[in-house]
Amino acid sequence: MNEYKQTDFQIDSLRILDVNELHFTRLDSGYLDLEYKGNRYEQVSLTRLQPFYYLDTYISVSFKNDEDEWIEIGVIRDINDMSKEQHDLCAEYLQFRYYVPLITKVHSIRDNRMGYLFIDAETTAGRKRIAVNDWWTNFRVNNSGMLTVTDSDGNKYYIPHPEEMDRKSYRKLELFM
Amino acid sequence: MNLKTPLPKGIPECIFSLPFDIAENGEKTAGFLTADREQIHIYDSDGRELNNFSLDSFSAFEATRQIGCSMLRGKRKNDDKWQFFCSFTQTHYIRYAELAKILDYYANTGVFVDHSDEEEPVCPKCGLSLDGSSTCPYCAKKGSTVKRLMKRLAPFKKPFIISILLTAFSYACDLVAPTLQRYLIDDVVQVQDPDMELFLIIAGTILCLALIGTAIDFITRRININITNGFIRDLRRDLFDKTQELSMRSISRRTAGEIIRRVSEDSRTIQQFVTDNGKEMILHTISLVALVIIMFVSNWKLALLVILPLPIAAWLASKVMRILDDRNSRWWRKTVASSRYLHDMLSGIRVVKSYGSEERETARYTEISKEVSKAQKNIDCIWYILSPLLRYVIAIGEFLMLYFGASAVMDIEITLGEFVQFTTYVSMLYGPLEWLTNLPRVLSQAMVAAGKAFEILDERIELKDAEIPADKPIEGNITFEHVSFGYTAYNPVLKDISLEIKQGEMIGIVGHSGVGKSTMINLIMRLYDPTSGSIKIDGTDLRDMTSKGLHDQMGVVLQETFLFNGTVLENIAYSKPNATFEEIIQAAKTADCHDFITRLPDGYNTYVGEKGYNLSGGERQRVAIARAILRDPKILILDEATASLDTQTEKQIQTALNRLIKGRTTIAIAHRLSTLSNADRLIVLDKGKLVEMGSHTELMKKHGVYYQLVMAQRTTAAIKKQTVTA
Repeated sequence: MNEYKQTDFQIDSLRILDVNELHFTRLDSGYLDLEYKGNRYEQVSLTRLQPFYYLDTYISVSFKNDEDEWIEIGVIRDINDMSKEQHDLCAEYLQFRYYVPLITKVHSIRDNRMGYLFIDAETTAGRKRIAVNDWWTNFRVNNSGMLTVTDSDGNKYYIPHPEEMDRKSYRKLELFM
Repeated sequence: MNLKTPLPKGIPECIFSLPFDIAENGEKTAGFLTADREQIHIYDSDGRELNNFSLDSFSAFEATRQIGCSMLRGKRKNDDKWQFFCSFTQTHYIRYAELAKILDYYANTGVFVDHSDEEEPVCPKCGLSLDGSSTCPYCAKKGSTVKRLMKRLAPFKKPFIISILLTAFSYACDLVAPTLQRYLIDDVVQVQDPDMELFLIIAGTILCLALIGTAIDFITRRININITNGFIRDLRRDLFDKTQELSMRSISRRTAGEIIRRVSEDSRTIQQFVTDNGKEMILHTISLVALVIIMFVSNWKLALLVILPLPIAAWLASKVMRILDDRNSRWWRKTVASSRYLHDMLSGIRVVKSYGSEERETARYTEISKEVSKAQKNIDCIWYILSPLLRYVIAIGEFLMLYFGASAVMDIEITLGEFVQFTTYVSMLYGPLEWLTNLPRVLSQAMVAAGKAFEILDERIELKDAEIPADKPIEGNITFEHVSFGYTAYNPVLKDISLEIKQGEMIGIVGHSGVGKSTMINLIMRLYDPTSGSIKIDGTDLRDMTSKGLHDQMGVVLQETFLFNGTVLENIAYSKPNATFEEIIQAAKTADCHDFITRLPDGYNTYVGEKGYNLSGGERQRVAIARAILRDPKILILDEATASLDTQTEKQIQTALNRLIKGRTTIAIAHRLSTLSNADRLIVLDKGKLVEMGSHTELMKKHGVYYQLVMAQRTTAAIKKQTVTA
C-alpha cells in the first residue's frame, strides 16, 4: 500500500527531490518501490524529462494513486548525486525503460520511393536492417543536430552527432538528413 | 499468427514460445518465454530456467510499451500489483500483445485458447512488419516510374500517336535533306557545266521539305499542349481525389504544406518534364536508331567510330542519374520543409505577431531557405562537373570520324559529297545525343516528383466503401456491439463498448481527458473503423454503407469551427449546395445568426476571411450550427461545441443548439457538464471502458465516476468564484 500525505504533491510548483532522502528498493516483481521523507510509494516510475538530452538529469519520479492516476512525487535533478547503490538502481531502471540503441556505422541506405527508408547499420545492439516508414517523419534531425530514427515496429535509434561519424557513414546519412 | 518459436535444445516444448531480447538491466540478451495452460516459464539462451509463474495467480495480462521496447506483465491476484515477465524490442511486440490477449482471456474466462487466428504480422519472405498492409514494402515490386507515367498517357493515345507520326514524318524529311545536299555538291556544284534545272529542283525540294517541317512542328505543338494539359489535369485531380479518400490516420501523417506541395508543385515539375521531353524521349530514340542505321548503310567504318563511345556514355549517364536521384530527393524534402514551415507560420501568424517573433521566424525561414539552396547547389555542382565529361565521351566519336573521314577524302576513298552527307548525319545524331546527355538531370528531377505523386496514389485506402452499399435514409438508431479501437495495433483506446442509442435521443459522453470520448465520435462518423466489434445504424453496419451515404445524413459542430474562405452564404450552404436561399435563411434563423448577418454591411455576401477570422468566435460557431441545421441531419454530433466560448455567448449558442437537436439523435461531448444537463442519458467513459450510463440524477445517486467529475467541477467553480471575489 502506498503511504503518503496528499499535501506532499503540488501541481503548480516544481518539487526537486532531495537525493539524500530517496531510498529505492528493487522488488522481485521487477519494479521499484520508494521511501521518501517517511512516505512509501509502490511500483514507482522514473521518466526522463528530456530523453534525448538529459540521460541522468531531470528524472521525474511518479506513482499510481488509488484512483489509478499517475502522480508526480518530484524530480531528481541528477542521479549522479545519489549514493552508488541508489544511482545504479535508477540507472538500471532507466536503461531498461529506454531502449534506444546508438547507430555507430551505416553500411547502406535505400529509399524505396514508396515512403520507406531501409538502413543497414551497426548499432550498439548489433547489426540491424532498419525499415523506416513515413521516413520524413520518423527519420529526422532535431534542432540540436541529433538524428532520431523510429522504425516501422516502433524501435528507436539515435545518433547524437551524425557529423562526427566516420566519413563514409556520414556521407550516406547526409543525403537523407 | 505464429506464437510458437522453435526452442533450443534443453527447453521443453510448450503451447506458446516466444523469444525476448532485453534483460532486466536493459542490456541486450537472448532468452525465451514459454506458456501453457498452467505456467509461464522464462529461460535464458542456454536453456536455464530463470523463473516461472503460475497462470492462476494473475488476474490480468498485458504487453505494455516502454520507450523503444516493451514488456509482458501480469497483475498479481494477491496484492493487485504488476509482475514483470520479460522485456523485448518492438519487433516482437505484436506477437507478445497477441499472447497477452490469449492469457488475459484465460484469466477472465478460464478458457485457454491454444492458438491465434490473427494474420501473420510480418512478410514471410523478409520478416518486415506489414503494418496491416497485404504487401511488403521491401519485397513489393513496382513498375518503373517512367512506365507508370507512360501508362497515364493512355487516355491521350490517339493524339499522342498522331503527334509522334507527324514528327516522325518531319524527321524523315530532315533525313532526306543531306542526301539532296550530296547530289547538290557532287552533281551540280563540283561539275564543270552545272545543270541549272537540276539545281532548281533540288533547291526547291529542300525548301519544300523545310516548309513541311515547320507546318508539322506547328500542328504537333498544338497537339502536345492539349496532351500535357490534359495529362496534368488528370494527375492533379487523381491526387486531390486520393487525399479526400484517405483516412484521417493517413492524412494526418502529412502536413498541409506537404500535401499542397505534392498536388501543385510536383505535378508542375512532371508537367514541365512531359511538355519538354515526353514526346522527344520517344522521337529521339527513334531518330537515333534511324540515323545509326542510315550511317551504317552509308559508311559502316565511319559509323562504327561514331558509336564506339556510346555504350560508355550510356553507362556514365545511368551512374549520373543514380547520383542525382538521391540528391534530387533531398532537394525535394528541403523544399517540402520550406513549404511546410511557410504554411505553418502563415496559419499561426496571429501567434507569431502577438509574441513579436517575426524576426526569429524570419531568421528560421532564412535558414530553411539556405538548406534548399545548398541542396540545389549540390545538384548543380555535380551536374556541371559530370555533364561536360558525358559530352566529352560522346564527342570522342566525332573526333575519330572527322580524322578518319577527312583522311579517306584525301585518299579519294570517298567523295567530298559523301563525307558532307555523313557529317550532316553525325550532326543530326548529336541533336538527340545532346538531348540525352541533359536527360539525367531533368529525368531524375521529374522521377522524384512523379515518385512522390505515386506514393500518394499508391497509398492503401483504409476505409473502403462496401462494394454493394446498403445506403438508405437513416432514422438515427445507433448500436455499438463490443467495439474496441486503437489508433495503433494492440493499443486500445476504447475497450469492448456495447450500447444502444435510440432515434431522437440526446446522449452526452463524459469522462476525463484522453478516455476516448472524441474517438467514440470519430468512430460514429466513420473517420476510423473499429479494431473489433461493429457499429450499426438502424441495424446496418457502418462498413456496409458508403461514406457519402452516411455523412449526407449527419451534422457536425466541432469546438474548432472551420469556415472556408468565402461568403457567409457559401459557408452555410456548404452542407447542402442545392439549398434555396429561403432554406439558408431559415437555417440561419434557427441557429440564431440571421440577425448578426443582416447587420453586416454585405449581409449574406460578407466574406468571412481566412478561416472565418472576420467573424467573432460566437458568430463563427453559429454559422457552423446553421450549416449543420441546413442539412437536416438525422444524427447530430456536437464535439465541445461551446467549449471555447464565454458564458454569455455559450448561453446564446445553447439556445440555438437546443433548437437544432430537437427530434434528432444527438451525441454531445462537453467538459462543462452543465452543458449536458438536458441529455436524456449520459455515457461515462473511464480508461476506454464504458463504466456508467444513465440520467444525471441516476448517476449522481450512484456516487461513481460521474459523481466525482461533477464534484470536482463544482469545487473548481467555487475556487474560481472565491478568487474572483477576492
